[in-house]
Amino acid sequence: MSIPGALRREVRFSSRDPVLWLWLALVLGLSAMSVAFGLAEVERQNETIQKLIDGDRHDRLAQYDKQESWGSAAYYSFHLTYDPPSDFAYAAMGQRDAQPWMHRIRMLALEGQIHERDVANPSIALIGRFDFAFLAAFVIPLVLILLLYDLRARERIAGRHDWLEATVGQPTSFWLLRASLRAGAVFVTLVVPVIIGGMVAGASPAKWFVATLGVFAYVALWTMACFFVSSWRRPGSVIMLALIAIWVAIAVIVPAGARLAIDRLVPIPTGADILLLQRETVNDAWDLPREVTMAAFFERHPEWSEYQPVEGSFEWQWYYAFQQVGDQRTEQLSTAYRDGRLRRDHMAAWVSILALPSLLERFLQSLADTDLRAFFEYEEGVRGYHAALRDFYYPKFFRNEAFDRTLLEDLPSFKPGNPGMG
Amino acid sequence: MMLQADSLHVARSGKEVLSGISFSVDAYEVYALLGGNGAGKSTTLLSFLGFLSPTAGSVLVKHTDVYSDIAAARKAIAYLPESASLYEHLTAQENIAYFLQLAGMSASSPAIDAALDRVALSPNARRRKVGGYSKGMRQKTAIALAMLRDTDILLLDEPTSGLDPNAIDEFHQTIRSVADSGKAVLMVTHDVYGACHAADKIGMLQGGKLKGEFAAEGHGIDIEAVRKAFSATVVPS
Repeated sequence: MSIPGALRREVRFSSRDPVLWLWLALVLGLSAMSVAFGLAEVERQNETIQKLIDGDRHDRLAQYDKQESWGSAAYYSFHLTYDPPSDFAYAAMGQRDAQPWMHRIRMLALEGQIHERDVANPSIALIGRFDFAFLAAFVIPLVLILLLYDLRARERIAGRHDWLEATVGQPTSFWLLRASLRAGAVFVTLVVPVIIGGMVAGASPAKWFVATLGVFAYVALWTMACFFVSSWRRPGSVIMLALIAIWVAIAVIVPAGARLAIDRLVPIPTGADILLLQRETVNDAWDLPREVTMAAFFERHPEWSEYQPVEGSFEWQWYYAFQQVGDQRTEQLSTAYRDGRLRRDHMAAWVSILALPSLLERFLQSLADTDLRAFFEYEEGVRGYHAALRDFYYPKFFRNEAFDRTLLEDLPSFKPGNPGMG
Repeated sequence: MMLQADSLHVARSGKEVLSGISFSVDAYEVYALLGGNGAGKSTTLLSFLGFLSPTAGSVLVKHTDVYSDIAAARKAIAYLPESASLYEHLTAQENIAYFLQLAGMSASSPAIDAALDRVALSPNARRRKVGGYSKGMRQKTAIALAMLRDTDILLLDEPTSGLDPNAIDEFHQTIRSVADSGKAVLMVTHDVYGACHAADKIGMLQGGKLKGEFAAEGHGIDIEAVRKAFSATVVPS
């Protein structure tokens, strides 16, 4: 029988199987739910960002009206930075659940502001995010296992296995077709909601096409694994246990073990270390001779080295100088933190070749710009924007320029997706 | 020669189940293998289907060693297993249509109905799902399927198991007519009288060895001789 003929035969046969329909309904329901949750979360984040954007300029202008100097204007005004969700974030929220995607920053020392945040949303940390990436990477293999583990064993139990093989002539292609058809049906019901979600979210077709290809390859790998293991002449329960053991190994044990090993191999400072050091540096500056602070500041800004601080009086130049020195002191820790996390992430990427669910999850997060790289790009954007604010204010401070509210119109504005200046 | 076992030795799980049996089945012939439980009857059938490689000797289907081309051997054979485990969520007609398609064949609904008529499965029953069938009804469906396969060889494993006496008689007549149309039929059974009634030759298996063969002469096979030989094979040694 030709391949299309065999395919039609198996489609007709499988379409009469109520158990298969139940599984497909479950997958469709879960996929639709995960996409709906993702779209709702993206909408919530966009609404939050839009609300803050709307209020940002208004709040700042209201503050400026109350100020009489460049120093106090800089001190009391907040500047919104944000990382809007990408058009594919609904499918893979990734680091957006664990890392901040907006900061309202001030002209004070920056590193503390970056690291002073909730480390995680406790409710999310408790149950985890049920997004499409999680469903596809971790749940779908279990569905495939439960759907395919007894592909042959149930026929053996029913006493049909040898009869079928004797009738069909080419048993390998027959079993493979049966497994592929079932897995194919799971794949289609899995990706249809994410494609519809992509249309709703206005995601680029290229992006969900590539995502679909990745999911297809992943489903194909699991199907082959189930196909080969299910061909053992063992009871179905033994085959299921073997497949579940494979899932546990590559979905849980390998990633967890690798995480422990990587954390040990690549120690990194914590955000709290950075925050603490910066606060100590800034607080200590009040008690240090001002020339000590200014000397450190002039290393970075020799152009203002003519400034002579006056001991015993409050000067904005000195105040912002020790804020910057706070950042300078934590630079090494901050770089170590970022480099360490990227190194860990790089190692985890290699390990994920063995831990396929993590590999697919990372792939989808990378497409959705919700991976660690995207998070650090946003953080660099915040640093760039903060540097631009300093570039705006420092000449005003050190040249003792008269306060002119109209010049505040020239303040740089944050633009997401680039170093942050507009 | 349609089927031939030549000094066939087969082991399962390290234990020898067939110990050098030799016999053959020609076209136009019904050959019944009789024997008690564990005699090696089903193992013999599975060897012809290429499921159990011989440890020594050979099995030939249409003069070709089965293990040199298993697919070709299976294509020439319609096999009816002891337990006709049809798909319960399909009707008899759908089961037959599906299995025929598996074999690369197709049959029209009238052809399937005609085959089901021959095995006397009622028209009402054949449109119901097999899940509600008795063992006999399932067996009738499987027999209809085996006949529709229209292969040169039929291998039947306890084909009358679960059938009522009338259906058994009808089945034997059907098998006879199938063989008379030029096909070779090898069946394994416990049913001494049925075998004597339908078969041209009977092989008596005991402990993996062929203890004797009985051929039809004049008015058929000597039932009494077969019965005595069969009783001897099932007496614990």
